Amino acid sequence: MLRKLSRSAALTARRRYVQTMFQVMGHALDAISRTDKKVLDEARLLPVGFVFEMTVLPAGPSLVVEHVGEGRLRYLGSSPPANVDLSIRFKHIAHAFLVLSFQEKTAEAFANDRMLVDGDIGLAVRMTRILNRLEAIILPRLVASRAVKEYPADLGLFEKVPGAINIYRRVATGMIRDLTKEVSPT
Amino acid sequence: MSRYYEFYCPVKVISGDAALEHLPYELTSIASTRPMIVTDQGVRAAGLLDPVITACEESNLVIAAIYDEVPADSSTTVVRDIANLYRQQECDALIAVGGGSSIDTAKAVNILVSEGGDDVAAYSGAGVLSRPLKPFFVIPTTAGTGSEVTSVAVIADRERSVKLPFTSSFLLPNAAIIDPRMTRTLPLHITAATAMDALTHATEAYTCLGKNPLSDAYATAAVKKISGALLKVMDNPDDGQGRLDLAEASTMAGIAFSNSMVGLVHALGHATGALCHLPHGLCMSIYLPFVLEYNLEQIREPLSDLLLYLEGPQVWATTPASRRPEATISAIRHLRDELHHRCELPRTLRETNKVTEDQLDQIAHKALDDGAIMFNPREASFKDVEAILKKAWG
Ligand SMILES: [Fe+2]
Repeated sequence: MLRKLSRSAALTARRRYVQTMFQVMGHALDAISRTDKKVLDEARLLPVGFVFEMTVLPAGPSLVVEHVGEGRLRYLGSSPPANVDLSIRFKHIAHAFLVLSFQEKTAEAFANDRMLVDGDIGLAVRMTRILNRLEAIILPRLVASRAVKEYPADLGLFEKVPGAINIYRRVATGMIRDLTKEVSPT
Repeated sequence: MSRYYEFYCPVKVISGDAALEHLPYELTSIASTRPMIVTDQGVRAAGLLDPVITACEESNLVIAAIYDEVPADSSTTVVRDIANLYRQQECDALIAVGGGSSIDTAKAVNILVSEGGDDVAAYSGAGVLSRPLKPFFVIPTTAGTGSEVTSVAVIADRERSVKLPFTSSFLLPNAAIIDPRMTRTLPLHITAATAMDALTHATEAYTCLGKNPLSDAYATAAVKKISGALLKVMDNPDDGQGRLDLAEASTMAGIAFSNSMVGLVHALGHATGALCHLPHGLCMSIYLPFVLEYNLEQIREPLSDLLLYLEGPQVWATTPASRRPEATISAIRHLRDELHHRCELPRTLRETNKVTEDQLDQIAHKALDDGAIMFNPREASFKDVEAILKKAWG
C-alpha cells in the first residue's frame, strides 16, 4: 500500500516537474528573444503569428509560444489556441521528463522516436536550435553540455552570466505572476 | 550513443536470379488479379518492363494497366492521373518499376486509391494514415535510393510550389523485388552516383545520432558490398553478381538509414539538389568526405569500424588504431578519384559546372533548415556549413 502511494507520489512529482519546466522554458523563451542576438536571428525567420507547441500525449502538459514578429517570442501559457502551426509531441510523460531533466538531448529524443513532429520539419529544426541556445545560456555549463549536442564554443562567461541573470529575473517575475493567477480566486 | 532505439522493416525482400518470376506468385497469393504498373519512359525505353510483363503473362496474370510517364520530379497532378487510371481499370495492386521518383509516386497513388479522394495533399505529413493500403510491390531499377524500404514519399505540389512530405509505415511495400536484370543496363555515371548515395546512407546511418545495433548491421554489410562491387561493375558493367551486390547493398543501406536517419551530407545534398538541380547521388558523393572530416572528432570510433568494411581486414589490421578514422576518409576519397577517372563523376562543386560560388550562401541557409541536420553528431552552425561548402567548392 505504502509502496503504491509513494509510487503515485513520484509520478505526480514527475508530472509537476514537466509542467513547471514547460513554464520556465516558456518565460525564458519570451525573455531570451528580447536580448539574445542568436535567438533573434533564428526566430526572425519564423512566420509572423507562427504558433509553436510542445506537448505530452495524450493530454499535456504543454508549452505554447507565438512568434509576434522581428524575432520576438511570446509565451502563451499552456493551452494552445485553435491554430497551432508546429507541434512537437512527446509520446509519454516519461520521455518528456528525460529531456526536460537533461538526461536525454533534444536531438537524441528525436532520433530515439520519443516524440512526433506535426508541421514543417524545417521550422522544427529551427525551434530546436532556439531551445538549444536557451538551454546553453540558462543552464550551468556542466548541465547544459548534457542537454545540447555541442556547447557553443563562443559562449563565454561574459555573454552567459549577464544573459542568464536577466533571463532568470524575467522568468521568476513571470512565474510569480502565473502563481498569483493560480492562487487568486476567479 | 543511444540507450534506446526502434527498428522496423516489414518489407519482404525477394532478391537474386529469376527474382522477377516470383512476382506472379506474390500477387496471386494475396488474390490480386488486376495489378497496375507505375513507371517512367526511361524504364520503358530500356526494355526493362518486358521481363516483368513476360514473367506475369507466363503465369496467366494480366497487367491491367500501365502508366509509363512518371516525370523525374513527380507532382500531385501526376498522382491524381494515375489514381484515376487505376480506378478506371479496376486495378487491385500497384507495382512500381523504376527509381526514386516512380517509387515515391506509386506510394502517393496508393494513398489515393486506398483512402479515396483526388487531393493527395490532404494526407501529407506524419502519421495521417491509420490503416493498411492496397497491395504494393517495388522493383527498383537503380541501386541507390533505398526507397523500396523507406516509409516516406516526397511529391511536388506545383500549384502551391511546395514539396509535400508523406510519412507513414503504411507506405512501405509488401515486397521489394531485386533482380540483377533490372540494373544491368544502368549507365555508368548513374551507377556510380547512386552507389555513392547508398554508401552515404550506410555511412551516415552508422555515424549519426540515430545509430542502433540493428541498423549498424545493415549499414556495415552495405558498405562491404559496395566497396567490393562498385569498381568491378564500373570496369565490367555486365558483371551480374556485382550488379546484384550493389542493388542489395542499396536496399540494406535503405533499411539502415530509414531506421537511424541521415545527417549533414543529406541536409547539404537536399539543399543543393533543390537550388542547383544536381542529381542527389552526385551531391552525396561530393559532400561525403568533407562532412566526415567536419564530424571527425565526434565519430572516430564508428569511422574506425568502417575501415574494416571499406578496405578489408588486412588494411584494417595494418593501420594503427589512431589513424583508422582518417584512413576511412582517405578510402572514400580514393573511391571518388577512381570514379572520376572512370566516368568523370565530379568530386567538387566546381567540377559539376552547375553550381556558382555565389550560390553557396543560399545552399548553407537552406541546409540549416533541413530535417536531416538534426541527426548530425555535431551541431552545425551557419559558419560551419559555409566552411564545409567552401572546401567542397574545390
Ligand atoms: Fe540519399
